[in-house]
Amino acid sequence: MKGLRKVLTPFAPDQSGAVSVLYGLGGLIVIIDAGGCTGNICGFDEPRWSDVRSAVFSAGLRDMDAILGRDKLLVSKIASALERIDASFVALVGTPVPATIATDYKALKRMIENETGIPVLTIATDGMKLYDDGEALAYKALFENFRSGEGDLKEIVLGKTPLTYGDGSLSVTLDDIRNIGPDTKITASSSSGIEAAKSLGRPYEIFSSKASELASKIPSGKVLVCHDEVFGKTLRDAGIKCDIATYFALHDEIKETGDVKITEEDEFTELVMNGGYDVIVADECLKPLAEGFEGQWIDAPFFALSGRR
Amino acid sequence: MTRTAVRYTAAKIAELGKDNIPSELLSGHGLVYSSPATLAYNSPGAEGFGVKRAGLSVPESVMLIVSPGCCGRNTSIVSSMPQYKDRFFYLMMDETDLVTGRHLKRIPDAVCEVVSHLEKKGNKPRVVMICITCVDALLGTDMERVCSACERALNDETRVRPCYMYALTREGRRPPMVHVRQTLYSLLEPMEKDPRSVNIIGNFAPLEDGELQKMLFAAGVKHIRQISTCSTYEEFLKMASANFNIVTNPEVRAAAHDMSQRLGIPYIELTRVHDVKRTALQYRSFANAAGMEFDFSAEEAEAEKAVISLKEAYPGLTFNIGECLNADPFELALSLARYGFGVDEIYGTLAPEKFKYVSKLAELSPDTKIYCNMDPTMLYYDVSDSKAHISLGKDAAFYCPEIPNIAWNSDIQPFGFQGITKLMNEINKTMKEARA
Repeated sequence: MKGLRKVLTPFAPDQSGAVSVLYGLGGLIVIIDAGGCTGNICGFDEPRWSDVRSAVFSAGLRDMDAILGRDKLLVSKIASALERIDASFVALVGTPVPATIATDYKALKRMIENETGIPVLTIATDGMKLYDDGEALAYKALFENFRSGEGDLKEIVLGKTPLTYGDGSLSVTLDDIRNIGPDTKITASSSSGIEAAKSLGRPYEIFSSKASELASKIPSGKVLVCHDEVFGKTLRDAGIKCDIATYFALHDEIKETGDVKITEEDEFTELVMNGGYDVIVADECLKPLAEGFEGQWIDAPFFALSGRR
Repeated sequence: MTRTAVRYTAAKIAELGKDNIPSELLSGHGLVYSSPATLAYNSPGAEGFGVKRAGLSVPESVMLIVSPGCCGRNTSIVSSMPQYKDRFFYLMMDETDLVTGRHLKRIPDAVCEVVSHLEKKGNKPRVVMICITCVDALLGTDMERVCSACERALNDETRVRPCYMYALTREGRRPPMVHVRQTLYSLLEPMEKDPRSVNIIGNFAPLEDGELQKMLFAAGVKHIRQISTCSTYEEFLKMASANFNIVTNPEVRAAAHDMSQRLGIPYIELTRVHDVKRTALQYRSFANAAGMEFDFSAEEAEAEKAVISLKEAYPGLTFNIGECLNADPFELALSLARYGFGVDEIYGTLAPEKFKYVSKLAELSPDTKIYCNMDPTMLYYDVSDSKAHISLGKDAAFYCPEIPNIAWNSDIQPFGFQGITKLMNEINKTMKEARA
């Protein structure tokens, strides 16, 4: 049945992706929710939370705030927090609640900027899309607000967040964004990185260091890679002949015959049953969907998929 | 500019009064900091009970979470626990569902598919809990009607009940953890009363086997039931035969009231306190009300002895107390202060009903500093000002990493004299180990 999950737990949502890009940049990140979404982000999807404190807060919306659309109350909460907390910008991150009540982000941005004089980024995530979407939106907001285009940064790696890379993630700083210039080498290290790199309108390289480390361990045979698309492409570039399946975005520039974007649990099962693969490279959480597969399974942990680090 | 976490002394709060508690200390007045305590409430994982875990307290039940993907994201932590294997299922909502509400029509089919899937594996559930979230709260979804449609579609004895994971209603009249308890006990049907049966209700893990159960058995009670000790659905249903309910957590009060109205089961409320004298007083009142006689002299003496032993071993021992623990931090602070211990800091969320503890604490320990776990300035909390020797509560360990900590947050609930004795002994042992 479409949308029914009997084996897998939900994947990292767009709002977690947005925060993973913005985390540690020195902004006041306000997740427009009642508390549960922030709890899932800080308590589960954001591994840096337990080590590095960052100003990520829930808007603490209550039912009547949402029903009556009390935007002024939210503005006053943010203004009050900014009197006591240092921040170089405010980022408003959407959740299902503002999506349901059709929050006017532009109006909120204007109201907060007028009240506080601090730049406001709005990221209209809704908790129903996936993390790569949210990461791409966050990069776009950062570029629109902070990139001058005339800096002298040598290289920037986009999309290397904990949700794709786990402990091997790499943070981009606000200065990096400000200093992107005409000669900056751009590397897209995951699906969101491709989207972000495209929005810069410049040539870019596609490379996953995580996949590169794994390439030598993959035996020959017919290989299915179910991971992030950049992970799959990097293996392919390393000489592994493989089909790529992904629950996340699959860009045309990566897609080849045999590659597929999947959504449901059954789609993966059918792919394995009918594909005649000798090797599967994927997170172990997908194994129960591949009952009867007799080939070799190479575990490739993917936090956004399974929550495994 | 140096930034600091907002705090108030107990004396200042007492001076301001119950109606003027500073807004920084209250829930629902500002942006919310994701402290360990806030996360434990908003995103409970393997420890503690949120709506998802609580909703599965009924034996032989499973849960279908109908929501945007984000709401079920952290469930993988709970799903990995053996007792929750094959018990969580998801029906993912998309943007079209949000606009059209079409997901509601798919729920009965999804429930049938889940039940059929489990039946094939030989694990047909007796109850399906449908967990819905903020989105359906705002859409005004009539879940009773949806659940009825599911039961009609199943056309068997499987019961379908709604679980409301509405974080939007945290400070409301029926917050999620109150509502979920009402849902669980709404499954009970009227049955013949057994005068020798008693229920202990309130928590989702059992009360530690201690003097309360011993006294009840000594007074002639034959069956003491708790939801967490029922191994089958049939056994759970027998909770409807109880002569009375003992309420050990105020969040189950509404469910107890429902049971008194619908099933004719009266209830009596016992509060977990850490003061030996008040514990004895409460048991005496309970015995009088229930028409029973309790002898708890041995347990009372043991608790007193444990307190004295700790005081003799560590005179002047000073605590910092968090709120992720099996106690009310303000009540615990007051009890410790009454014993003569120091309480330097409390990390809690103050509410008007807790003011009574703070006002009394102010008389004994006016300089105790009170922080709110939800206040954004907790980002700047600095423990270096504290002179505590030990911290209590899992969240307190986060704030005070350099001193010994007792998490005191097991699922099994300590209670009464036995709880006091165990806590005092645990503190004694932890301090001894820390100073060895």
